[in-house]
Amino acid sequence: MNDQPTPVNCQEAADRLYEYLDGELTPEIELAVRAHIAKCAPCFKRFDFEETFLRFLAARIRSQGAPPELKRRILESLFSDSDLPERE
Amino acid sequence: MSQSHDERRRGFEREALPHLDAVYRVALRLSGDPAQAEDLAQETMLKAFRSWHQYQQGTNARAWLLTILRHTFINAYRQKKNRPASVDLSEIEEFTVFHDVQDTDPEGTFFDQIIDDEVLRAIDSLPDEFRETVVLSDVESLSYAEIAEVTGVPVGTVKSRLYRGRQILQRQLYEYAVEMGYLRRSAT
Repeated sequence: MNDQPTPVNCQEAADRLYEYLDGELTPEIELAVRAHIAKCAPCFKRFDFEETFLRFLAARIRSQGAPPELKRRILESLFSDSDLPERE
Repeated sequence: MSQSHDERRRGFEREALPHLDAVYRVALRLSGDPAQAEDLAQETMLKAFRSWHQYQQGTNARAWLLTILRHTFINAYRQKKNRPASVDLSEIEEFTVFHDVQDTDPEGTFFDQIIDDEVLRAIDSLPDEFRETVVLSDVESLSYAEIAEVTGVPVGTVKSRLYRGRQILQRQLYEYAVEMGYLRRSAT
């Protein structure tokens, strides 16, 4: 039995950098990339840096929501819109 | 069989309205202007409500709304404001920011010192196609397939836009951090 993933080199790992961090790879390729960065210090550092960057981005820009006033206005417009004939 | 207005409104309130925050956030980053973002979000929700019968129950309501938002933005707003590409794209590919910081700050601790407004400014200055891809991914966590659906391009294009968009963003933030003295420019 051989369930070792087909090895990838530094370039192949780098080409899949964001797909790996975004969870977009197939399980086999993900495993191969993980195995590579586990034993390649330079690649590990690069992946770690990019992961830090993505976490930083997400933390800084996800918090904003729609203003309550806008929600109220939209709800109102839906109510009045339902009076308009839409078919025929 | 047509739904009654009440049924339609209830369905819309239940399935579409919870995504208003996402619609507003993306509208804000596409337009770069709060007042315009509100108009854009309202127009999107109203259009979506009027074509609610076209929405397939149980499918991805958020992607559907964001597609409507994007079309609304392109048709009505994009022409009015032609953002210049503020970044020289040819420079991007050559060296990654990691290459510059691997000796001085390989863990990227300088990111923590950058204020939120500067991050938003950097996103807003991205060329259109990179900005929308980065926003859909990093602000709204859409999958590559969902982004492809919303922006109408193949998944391969989403990947390359995301790569370049993130690298441009990183470069802008790095330059800002160097300028602010959070980091010294590497000699390499």
